Amino acid sequence: MPITNFGGLLNFAEEIEKQDMAFYNSVADNQDMSDLCDLFQGFAKDCKKNIVHILRTRRENVTEMILEPIRDFFRKPFVLEAQNDKEMDRAQILDYSKKLETRAIDYYTEGAVKIKALPEVAQALKLARKKRIAHTTKLSGIQYKTGRKKEKFL
Amino acid sequence: MTLPIMKNYINGEWVESNGTTMGDVTNPATGKKIAQVVYGTKDDVEQAVKAAQEAFVQWRETPPLTRARYIFRIKEVFEENFEEIAQTLTMENGKVIDEARAEVRRMIENVEHATAATTLMCGYTLEDIAKGIDSYGHRQPMGVFAGIVPYNFPAMVPWWFLPYALVTGNTYVLKPSEQVPMTQTKIFECLDEVGFPEGVVNMVHGSKDVVNAILDHQDIQGVSFVGSTATAEYIYKRCGETGKRVQALGGAKNIVGVMPDANLDAGIPSLVSSFYGVAGQRCLAGSILAPVGDIADELLEKFVTEAKKIKVGDGLSDQTGMGPMAGKIHQDRVLAYIEKGIEEGATLVLDGRSCKVEGCPDGYFVGPTIFDNVTPDMTIAREEIFGPVVSVVRCNTFEDLIKLVNTRNFANAACLYTDSGAAARKFKYEALPSMVGINIGVAAPMSFFPFGGSGNSMFGDIKAHGQEIFQFFTDTKVVMERWF
Repeated sequence: MPITNFGGLLNFAEEIEKQDMAFYNSVADNQDMSDLCDLFQGFAKDCKKNIVHILRTRRENVTEMILEPIRDFFRKPFVLEAQNDKEMDRAQILDYSKKLETRAIDYYTEGAVKIKALPEVAQALKLARKKRIAHTTKLSGIQYKTGRKKEKFL
Repeated sequence: MTLPIMKNYINGEWVESNGTTMGDVTNPATGKKIAQVVYGTKDDVEQAVKAAQEAFVQWRETPPLTRARYIFRIKEVFEENFEEIAQTLTMENGKVIDEARAEVRRMIENVEHATAATTLMCGYTLEDIAKGIDSYGHRQPMGVFAGIVPYNFPAMVPWWFLPYALVTGNTYVLKPSEQVPMTQTKIFECLDEVGFPEGVVNMVHGSKDVVNAILDHQDIQGVSFVGSTATAEYIYKRCGETGKRVQALGGAKNIVGVMPDANLDAGIPSLVSSFYGVAGQRCLAGSILAPVGDIADELLEKFVTEAKKIKVGDGLSDQTGMGPMAGKIHQDRVLAYIEKGIEEGATLVLDGRSCKVEGCPDGYFVGPTIFDNVTPDMTIAREEIFGPVVSVVRCNTFEDLIKLVNTRNFANAACLYTDSGAAARKFKYEALPSMVGINIGVAAPMSFFPFGGSGNSMFGDIKAHGQEIFQFFTDTKVVMERWF
């Protein structure tokens, strides 16, 4: 499905953040991941902040004067099927989290280019991206160590 | 299913009209009825004006900063209800949800601008106008003002006036368009949360009877109107008969000129949205596309290509690029103009008459339409179409373009696409319309600049919003003072 306008671009950003927030909240409650509870709670909190930020941007930066169409931008490359962390082991959860972060970073990177006619919106996307880059760095520093039940990597 | 019935808001209460005529509110994307509105009467107006007149006594004594705090509170509740207002607007008017959001934003920008009353309402003073005599001018509120507003911008246009009237100490009676009463009803629900003193702000739904009752009422000091030129002229004259202040903004026939040196790749998106934004139903929409010289063929080719990409549909979908006409009557009117264009010999390059939208078989859609080889004397080059119809009038020279711009019946807005500063300056200098865009397709002034045309596009002296609006809503009382 193409993303053809300002609202469509920010609506999809909201969808991404909501999907990721739900996953991270669930992981934070997952007993098998209890050692990373604070980390995933923090991720979920950042997603929530991004949602507030995106909605505020949608309200405040929409301007009729330059409501021009967006071309050649599609949802498909950024769609990730929602996963249930309770059916995943530790390694899978961490891998999937990295995928979510990469997806968000890519979306915000490309989105900022597509919406460059509205610099404040591009800036908002860059801010959201910044949080996601920080997540990636944190995830990279986690060792795939032994979980209580699902031992995969050491 | 029982449809909601829109009520009047008078003296801080939601009240039923004593009218007996009921109108339907229709979602133009689906053709389905979504609400009903009772057309108010002279008695309804009488009650609203009485409440406003009584409230004025206390309200004018309320310090401007305190009044401005009410306006700040309006901003808060509008932000909280932003999306709901935008969705309501799209449902009853049809415009694309992003356009509705942009409209609500512009409404709020007027609220923000109005909060500057403590500066913009200030008077002025001069010592020693004669020996030992000082003089100063106060800006005083005048009483009850009224607004009569159109269907194409049901959220924004009332707020070109209303916040300024209130913040300067006047009280207000608003008549929304009977075609789209739900948006202002939602907005007045927000105002109800703000907690204005009873009677400061009032709303009466209705049609011509309500308009005439407002125009003839002796206790209304001034009227703000936006709509067609014919009605603007009528309102101007009738207000003159009863000694009211009046600002009546009428129709338009906006020309967008494109010079041979224009950067088409950069300009095409805004050019296209100038003509097709809000499905051409805005008084700043481009209506005549006027290429100058040999750029015409290249421009037309690019313009048609982009126009064909516009997805017409229900404005509530974020996939939609252009919504329907706001009503059946408007759809019929636009279709009749297309027929007229064909009849008078223009070349139909893109035909939007048979536009069909999946899932919306009863919507009032007209697809992007383009006529080439339109001559200045053709009906479609002279009259306001108010729909997604582009008339291409090819000009040989810049002088031909200026002549075209300055010989329409209207003088609202005009735009020029060029890379030449000299051409831009000449255009700004010589074009008669009051709102000019250079490499901008929609020359819409922000809330802190005045909005309004000249010629047959505006009747009255003071335009909407900007700094001047504080003059419209106040009388400058000049005091000369000497002490012995």
